[in-house]
Amino acid sequence: MNGIDTVGPQLSVLGAAGLILVVDALMPQHRRMLPFIALFGLIVSALWTVSWVGRDFAPADITTFDGTFSLDQYSAFFYFVFVGITATVVLASIDWVNREGRGQGEYYALVMTVCSGLMFLSASRDLITIFLSLELSSIPQYILAGWGKDKRSSEAGIKYLLVGAVASSLLLYGMALLYGATGTTLLDGIGAYVASPEAEANRGLLVLAMVLLMAGFGFKMAVVPFQMWVPDVYQGAPTPVAAFLSVGSKGAAFAVVVRVFIVALGADLLSDDWSMIFAILAAVSMTLGNVMAVSQTDIKRMLGYSSIAQAGNFLIGLAAVSGGDERFTLGASGVLLFVAAYAFTNLGAFVAVIAISQRIGSDQIKDYAGMWRRSPVLALGLAFCLVSLTGIPPTVGFWAKLYIFNAGIRADLGWLVIIGVLNSVVSAYYYLGVARQLFTGGDESTERVPTSPSISLSLGAATLGVLVFSIIPMPLMSAARDAAEVLTK
Amino acid sequence: MEGWGGVAIMVALGVGFGAVNVALSYFAGPRHPTPEKEAAYECGMPPVGDARERQSVKFYLIAMIFLLFDIEVAFLGPWAMALRDLGWPGFIQIALFFAILAVAFIYVWRKGVLDWGPETDPDYVRPPKPGPAVVKRYNYGTGN
Repeated sequence: MNGIDTVGPQLSVLGAAGLILVVDALMPQHRRMLPFIALFGLIVSALWTVSWVGRDFAPADITTFDGTFSLDQYSAFFYFVFVGITATVVLASIDWVNREGRGQGEYYALVMTVCSGLMFLSASRDLITIFLSLELSSIPQYILAGWGKDKRSSEAGIKYLLVGAVASSLLLYGMALLYGATGTTLLDGIGAYVASPEAEANRGLLVLAMVLLMAGFGFKMAVVPFQMWVPDVYQGAPTPVAAFLSVGSKGAAFAVVVRVFIVALGADLLSDDWSMIFAILAAVSMTLGNVMAVSQTDIKRMLGYSSIAQAGNFLIGLAAVSGGDERFTLGASGVLLFVAAYAFTNLGAFVAVIAISQRIGSDQIKDYAGMWRRSPVLALGLAFCLVSLTGIPPTVGFWAKLYIFNAGIRADLGWLVIIGVLNSVVSAYYYLGVARQLFTGGDESTERVPTSPSISLSLGAATLGVLVFSIIPMPLMSAARDAAEVLTK
Repeated sequence: MEGWGGVAIMVALGVGFGAVNVALSYFAGPRHPTPEKEAAYECGMPPVGDARERQSVKFYLIAMIFLLFDIEVAFLGPWAMALRDLGWPGFIQIALFFAILAVAFIYVWRKGVLDWGPETDPDYVRPPKPGPAVVKRYNYGTGN
């Protein structure tokens, strides 16, 4: 069937998006069904991916559509992450969307479209497909960021749109140069050219293209120096959307960056250069993100800056990628492990913030004081996720950090790992500061903060994921390693 | 470059003829400008107002719907030409494409984007009857 069934996971997500729009337009009285259609589409997508994993998945990756797209273990790993993220976000949005009232069908349809774009992005093996998937996931995100009715949300939408447009143009410029230098848009073809002796003469052009690609993807990864939009957009966008942006878009950006830089630019000619640049960006991102997060009073802004710092942690894995084959896999699988761990931990924290801020109508950290008395479940969930984000053993955040620091040390990046450890200490100050506020202090207000079933389910799913992988991290680690091995073959 | 001399001479003659005539009338012609002579004549009306007017947002909606159907045709043509080569997989792909377009069509239809007249808008209030028509007249050739 020349490949249609390999895009089944994306098609079922997109199909659900279409169905949501049609149901919303033709049967407005059944609007309550919309999130369940979305969840159904996501479940079908996950099952479809599982069916591929169960089939002849193992040896050669299944490359379809003239090599522009592949369903391999690497993309399947990210499919599961993105489907999980989207399902959690949909569940966490139900209350907010019902209260907001307008545009319910559009909201879920856009969220599902973003999800399919992210899935396409992690499976693309061609520059044009990568760009199209990036836009498929970005354009709905611009709309979602500006979804709220207040000024801040509009500001977030416009800011995200403008920054995203600049990023896209830089990325396109880099892709054009890369195509000009190598004569192909396929990542494998580019990789073969870069590894060949004749690439030496074109080195200047290739380096320029590489830097432009870094800048374009840097905006999406939200690393310094392309980070300035993050706090404003996270603060202004509706909280469920901010949660989605902070894990979905970032995870997909890292998925595609790891693939592009290993498969296309992985040869020794360039890898030492980009490894060093990524190492420096990692150090700067971690430091700036953490230092800025310390002084924040708004919890969404704080999570915004902390996500910049976490992106710096991801980059350690990317910097450790260059060089020998063993380190290759170790660094890349470190990034994958960290993306998965961070996705569910950060999502859990955001869901708790959604539940609390919906009730108390404030995002200020000081208003979170004494939340333990008002809602023990939310306080425990939030505190657990914050502890995991800090990387305190034995949480999944700790395993991910341990893994990625190990990859850094094996790649002779000891200085970077020391900076990373020091930054973890700084991050403990503000993460645990919020956690402490939850349990102590407060104005003795004992008014309960009730949670709806959908929010509880969403928070439960995220924290259960964190909890399970904290206790038994091995399956996640081996899945990440299997996925990363696909790239180096 | 052989054989292009004639073309060069032709271009030079063409440009030269126009340039010489304009230059001659510019330098040699008598000039006694009056407001009537300066006015636009024979080829247009005197301009009224600003070119950057506010447009109804409906125009943009119509443009977007046009795009929807335009793209449909733009893909349908090539597919029909290559129908036999593409076979059933091609048919399934174009069917998927159509399904996506159908969703868009149902959406714009049910959301009332196709209701172009003002009467179908529930919030529409008929404006009060206008007074006697005031027709602005331009007096050409009288200098005002």
